[in-house]
Amino acid sequence: MSATAGSGESNYEYVTARVRSRRAKLFDEDDYRKLVRMGPGEIARFMEESEYEAELNALGARHSGVDLIEYALHRNMAKHFEDLLRWADGRLYDYVARYLRTFDAWNVKTVLRGLYSGADREAIEADLIRAGEFDDRQVDRLLEADSIETVVDQLSGTMFADGLETAFETYEAEDSLVPLENAVDRAYYEGLLADLPRERDRATELYVEFLEAEIDFRNVRNALRLARSGADVDPAEYFIEGGRLFSAGELRGLAGSPGELVARLRESPYGEDLAAALDDLDAAGGLVDFERALEAALLEYADHLSNVYPLSVCPVFAYVLAKEREVENVRAIARGSEAGLPTEAIEEELVLL
Amino acid sequence: MTTDVKPTRKNLMAIEDRIELSERGHDTLEKKRDGLIMEFMDILDQSKDVRSDMQDDYEAAQETIDVARAMEGDVAVRGAAAALEEHPEITINSKNIMGVVVPQIESTKVKKRLDERGYGVLGTSARIDEAADAYEELLEQIILAAEVETAMKKMLDEIETTKRRVNALEFKLLPDLHESQEYIEQKLEEQEREEIFRMKKIKDKKESEEKAAREEASTTETQEGPEGEVAVTSD
Repeated sequence: MSATAGSGESNYEYVTARVRSRRAKLFDEDDYRKLVRMGPGEIARFMEESEYEAELNALGARHSGVDLIEYALHRNMAKHFEDLLRWADGRLYDYVARYLRTFDAWNVKTVLRGLYSGADREAIEADLIRAGEFDDRQVDRLLEADSIETVVDQLSGTMFADGLETAFETYEAEDSLVPLENAVDRAYYEGLLADLPRERDRATELYVEFLEAEIDFRNVRNALRLARSGADVDPAEYFIEGGRLFSAGELRGLAGSPGELVARLRESPYGEDLAAALDDLDAAGGLVDFERALEAALLEYADHLSNVYPLSVCPVFAYVLAKEREVENVRAIARGSEAGLPTEAIEEELVLL
Repeated sequence: MTTDVKPTRKNLMAIEDRIELSERGHDTLEKKRDGLIMEFMDILDQSKDVRSDMQDDYEAAQETIDVARAMEGDVAVRGAAAALEEHPEITINSKNIMGVVVPQIESTKVKKRLDERGYGVLGTSARIDEAADAYEELLEQIILAAEVETAMKKMLDEIETTKRRVNALEFKLLPDLHESQEYIEQKLEEQEREEIFRMKKIKDKKESEEKAAREEASTTETQEGPEGEVAVTSD
């Protein structure tokens, strides 16, 4: 990733127009209907005739089968997101970059896990998704690190530095990656809404509104997971600031009684979008289905915002989510088909809009 | 066997003692074998259940990991697995079932809470939790299956050994001992008969010798009698 912070005015018109054209190239329902009936080889062949051709050809010598498809999907996604950062200027660049730092967080966590488990450099490198704000040199430096301490040192000056330094002490005391991983994720989420201008224009408000929804959904998911797992931890420890629905204290109280949490969600502004998912959660209690419904609701919410405010950051986020979703859907189809899952089961896992 | 034994009364008594001991041992071993078979049948039933549960758990775990790999990506699943900090530990003790020492496997740190699995909660999803749950369940079942099936194998070995011992006693040792006993008894009877015959012979011989002696004595008496009379007459 080699983008630099844009300067000057945001160019919403230009970026949203380009994004709309990119969005039109995403796989549609017909494509998915064909894909779910194909084996991994056929999927790769189908992708070769789409915009994934370049990535499949480039990676074909090193990988094969579903791994090839997955790596090609990641590389293509990275290319598209890099384009977004290249096109965007001003505050729009800042908002997109903040959001795409999720891949920086991913890469940092992957390197940490790789070093922790003693994986070799090639294995770690294959798992990276270079779609964030870190440029190739920064990512390569991370890869060259020979210890977790070096990674923490190399990240000084980035948004992850403060959290990681504190978490590193806990890591040294407990020899557990959890504090480091949580610090990276927390830094990412906190960075999304940090240092926003006091006088917010409409674009900033929309940006905030979208991210609040994402943070709320993330908090709900985590609270429910912690409640279900019986882990003896304070849900407030995993609370991400910035959502609209809960404070850390409220979530602590609600995590103990999932029923109340669900009731609270029903009354929230997302209640209508999540009604079906909440019914499912009440009935079957399956968290996976609920998470899938949350993902679909977030996609829908982003689409709704991008239709209401077509010249804003919302269409860009809606595209980012849709592209991520395409990657996840194709990967799900390929992996599902490789594992021999029935077509119905694969279709159930897809989130389509 | 029979020819190796000296047909003496002492040996006969020793053999009789051995027969008694062997018969007692045979009964005990037969009871042990039957008991082991009953225990084995129980363990076999248990093992069948454990196997079937393990198969179910394996299928469920495989399905959850397929879904997790499909939806979260292979990379995310491998990453979460690599973050595991505390590996399960197994301690093997032993217990005794009818004299057979079988392992008793105790596992710790197999089932983990969400905060003990090593991966961060904020950046992962419930699919990975479900896969981890399912594999922890499977691992527990595998450990249980290892315990039950090892016990079953050991019981089977013990049943086989006991059966061989029972058969050896029943078809080899006891028949041989009985044969030896019979042989010695026959020999002893024969010796007794020979002894009686010999005694009879000796007695006959003795009697005939006595008779001969008596006859000789009477003959001598008859010859000495008329000479005396002559002497008296001449006086």
